[in-house]
Amino acid sequence: MALLGQYLVNGIMLGTIYALVAVGFTLFFGVLDVIKFSHGDVLMVGAFAGFTAAMAVAAVGISNPVLQLAASVVFALSVTAALGAAIAKWLILPLKHAPRMNILLVTLMLGTALREAVRLFYPDGSNPKAFPALLPTSALTLGDFTLRADSAILVAAGISVIVGLHLLINRTRLGLAIRAVAQDEETARTMGINYALVVLVTFALGSGIAAVAGVMNGLYYNEVNFGMGLLLGLIGFSAAIIGGLGNLYGAILGGFLFAMLQMLGAVAMPFASAYKDVFAFAVVIALMAWKPTGLIPERASERV
Amino acid sequence: MHTILRFGVGAMLSAALAAAPMAGASAKDKVKVAFIGPLSGGNASIGVGGRNSADLAVKIRNADPKAKYTYELFSQDDECKPNVGVQVATKAASDPKTVAAIAHYCSAVAMSTVDVYHKFGMPMIVWGAVLPDITYGNDYKEIHRVNGTMVNQNEVAADFMTKQGFKTWVILHDTTDYGKGHNAYFSKFLKEKGGNVLATFGVTADQQDFTAELTKAKELKPDVIYFGGLTPLGVRIRQQMDKLGIKAQFEGVSGIVSAAFIEGLDPKLAEGILAFREGAPVEKLPGGKYFMEQYDKAKYDQGPDAYGAFSFAATTLVLDAIEAVGPNRKKVTEYLSKVQNKDSITGPISFDDHGQNTVAAITKYVIQDGKWVLWEDSEYAAGKRKLAGK
Amino acid sequence: MNQLFSRMPPLAAAALAALLAFVFAVVFMEQESDVAVISLLALGAVAAWGAGRVGLSRRVSAAAATRPGAVAALGGAVALGLLAVFAEDHFPLLMLSTVMLYATVALGLNVQFGYTGVVNFAGAAFFGIGAYTAAELVGRTALPPILVLPLGGLIAAVVGLVLVVPVVRTRGHYAAVVTIAFSVLFKTFLEVNDTLGGPQGLSVAPLSLFGWSFGEGPEILGISASFYLNYALAALAVLALAFVMVRRLERSWIGLSLDAVRLDETASACYGIGIRRSKILAFVVGNLVIGTAGALYGSMLGYIAPTSFTFSDSLILVAIVLLGGMGSPWGTVFAAAIVVILPEKLQAIQEYRFLLFSVVVMAILLFRPEGLLPRAVRRYMPAPKEVAR
Repeated sequence: MALLGQYLVNGIMLGTIYALVAVGFTLFFGVLDVIKFSHGDVLMVGAFAGFTAAMAVAAVGISNPVLQLAASVVFALSVTAALGAAIAKWLILPLKHAPRMNILLVTLMLGTALREAVRLFYPDGSNPKAFPALLPTSALTLGDFTLRADSAILVAAGISVIVGLHLLINRTRLGLAIRAVAQDEETARTMGINYALVVLVTFALGSGIAAVAGVMNGLYYNEVNFGMGLLLGLIGFSAAIIGGLGNLYGAILGGFLFAMLQMLGAVAMPFASAYKDVFAFAVVIALMAWKPTGLIPERASERV
Repeated sequence: MHTILRFGVGAMLSAALAAAPMAGASAKDKVKVAFIGPLSGGNASIGVGGRNSADLAVKIRNADPKAKYTYELFSQDDECKPNVGVQVATKAASDPKTVAAIAHYCSAVAMSTVDVYHKFGMPMIVWGAVLPDITYGNDYKEIHRVNGTMVNQNEVAADFMTKQGFKTWVILHDTTDYGKGHNAYFSKFLKEKGGNVLATFGVTADQQDFTAELTKAKELKPDVIYFGGLTPLGVRIRQQMDKLGIKAQFEGVSGIVSAAFIEGLDPKLAEGILAFREGAPVEKLPGGKYFMEQYDKAKYDQGPDAYGAFSFAATTLVLDAIEAVGPNRKKVTEYLSKVQNKDSITGPISFDDHGQNTVAAITKYVIQDGKWVLWEDSEYAAGKRKLAGK
Repeated sequence: MNQLFSRMPPLAAAALAALLAFVFAVVFMEQESDVAVISLLALGAVAAWGAGRVGLSRRVSAAAATRPGAVAALGGAVALGLLAVFAEDHFPLLMLSTVMLYATVALGLNVQFGYTGVVNFAGAAFFGIGAYTAAELVGRTALPPILVLPLGGLIAAVVGLVLVVPVVRTRGHYAAVVTIAFSVLFKTFLEVNDTLGGPQGLSVAPLSLFGWSFGEGPEILGISASFYLNYALAALAVLALAFVMVRRLERSWIGLSLDAVRLDETASACYGIGIRRSKILAFVVGNLVIGTAGALYGSMLGYIAPTSFTFSDSLILVAIVLLGGMGSPWGTVFAAAIVVILPEKLQAIQEYRFLLFSVVVMAILLFRPEGLLPRAVRRYMPAPKEVAR
């Protein structure tokens, strides 16, 4: 019983990270109908930026974990937000009228470039880095069940980021502009919305969330490495798709579903735990056959 | 006809481009040796470390006034992919100026290229791949290996661990040839020595989260968590063991014996981790100290990593062979097959009839105060500190 | 100056371009040093730009439009010429064969998403199925080895049927995730399951044809050629076959309806085109081509393992299609040459080569969004031959 609780806690933690990545995909898709495949690697850059800031703050002699954490998050956020806006401005907007697949490929290549650049140019970048434990590590132990304070804080932080994003999209003028652009670019322009600016802001926002996920990942696993974004990006994308693109709730649902599938694969098939990714992706294929536009489909009607 | 055509079109351009750097070349003949390893992607840190070490061996030889030839290292990236491996191996082997190769860290790549070296009669020494079949799966006299196989390593590991009094294991291994091979041999030897494997989990090489597997492991309460795989995964698994409050002893394989493994971990978590590696410890040999000094002096932007010393030893051996019998593939192969008890920085090298180095001693390591320390020299062996769960 | 070549007969212009390409390819393949490689690349780019300035490229594309058969024959002649020049050299032949097989795969992908819009991010997986078929059949069964090639294609197509339902039902990005999932699943499955060699992989026995083993170099006109010449010729045959088939398909009514499905599913359904049938046809035909190339690739390498058929390899294949220009068979062949040869030539910069490669691809996509040789719009009327006159 205690173990079941443990699996649940692990699954929630994993699901929160996946959901944060998936939300980014769904945001970009919403405003521009594009898939930015470098998202996972932007997350990795965010995690490295956060790591660098934490180290730099520690190096100047500030050992207060709260300050370190703040510096880490702020720096990671600003780096990836700038990176996200830059990607939108110089890679995605110029290709808006090119075949759709081009954006997919160009961002995939950017992902490779980011990954290789960190490996080559970050000091000793090809090896994993120990991300400092900046959160309290006291643990609540009940038999086989262990809940650490840092895990709880991270889940709470992740959920509040998602709730915050939800409020931003639904309750603010900026959110209104984003939704307007998402629905119809031309009408939005006519209504006096600065289209390019909204796109840039959305990309900055989505990438900033990736940075949060990256730093969270670092804090949770206490380790960052240059390859961490690859699989996370892939999973986040799959999660966004199975949930239904362009839908915030879909992304969250997809994220938790994928985490659950992986947990189930590892736990319920003890003789063949190596098959858990095979299992998770096979379920994704089956889900797509069953619900070809995701679990929560877009509400847009067919344009003829 | 084709040669004429080729010279006709290529000559002008090649001449113009190649002429410039030729000025000031020495009177010695130039001889090329190839280095092949993973220089990009996930295994790059080991590959680049090996490449640097091979490069160092060549530089040292070139600086030696007694050397008969000037050597050039022709280094190639195999990306840890068999298809690319066959490509670059063909490239090196079909170039008559390249005499021998020091090649491969990834076993699947080595398995795919041994046929190529054999076909072209090029002597090759493996510097890192550990799968037994690379040397024992064929009768090719061109193939040699300076590092031990995972068989030796796991035999010693199983023996040592059971003698320490550990009884139960949970095994995590990555699903590459490396991890799967380690799992197979360790499980086999452990059974012979009376140890008990409670569960085995295969994980993919780019997996981030191991909490599901580890929670399951926690339920089984093993004495030891055995991990068969490389540094990045090892770091993650050790971190997550702590997250879940697992107190078992962590036992690794040669793939985690690197400074990066310790740097990736909190010092508290690294303490007391055990691992095993082929070859006498570099830092224990007079030649090993020399190697580290020279390596530091050459100021590469990255350390030699886990297998740099083997790459250095293999390269030095090839250069010795060429010095002794000349840049002739057949003669070098013959020379290599007769190598017995030859000194190297990784200890004496003797090749058996399959080209496998037989005296690849296995060294036991434990992490003590943030350093890989020989078990025999550690405070653990002296009884001052205790391994986890004891 | 601007119109220097404008009066040249199109076919003569095409022949001139083919000759230039041939000379360039020979010189380029010979170069080892990074300075030479980079200066030749720059030279090539300038030459391509210059060809556009003096009107040569316009004449060449006119030739391609009016006399496709003759231009294809020229392309074949260039390939044969290259094989003849390098007949004794193992490595260039291996690279040329790789280029031709990758081009074949990209042609298959072109049928899938260049024409029909069915995205396939599992190209490497179907390629791998072909290769594994060869590994299991050649030398292990009494089957005549040459039959392995079509069988590789057939089995790839059959395995692809597993994905047919989700692929047909989904569109765009949703379809992408199906094949991405399959790509990841395929590689992981091969690794964890030991029946097909597991992560270590399998060796593949050399092909043979009427008792002539592909593993040994043939003697032609007193020259002992490399054994790769066998494979290079076979690869050329496979490529030529695929090329002709794809061109025929494109010009047929089927091709027209495939294009219609890509451009607007709803409209084509209104005109009575079977969307489902078109998509299934494209997916199956594409996988057939890919698997056939895979079987030959596997036997050429002699050894295969799961790490050669990963998701990132699928991406490289997709990159070939996009770089060449979607639906453009000539562009595909050209892009395959770039994508295969360039990273190889960049070995000189060692660990930096993938960084540079991805930057180059990004630059091409940014500055030539339609690909290097964009697909020409098909022309039924007036009939091509009349224009030539």
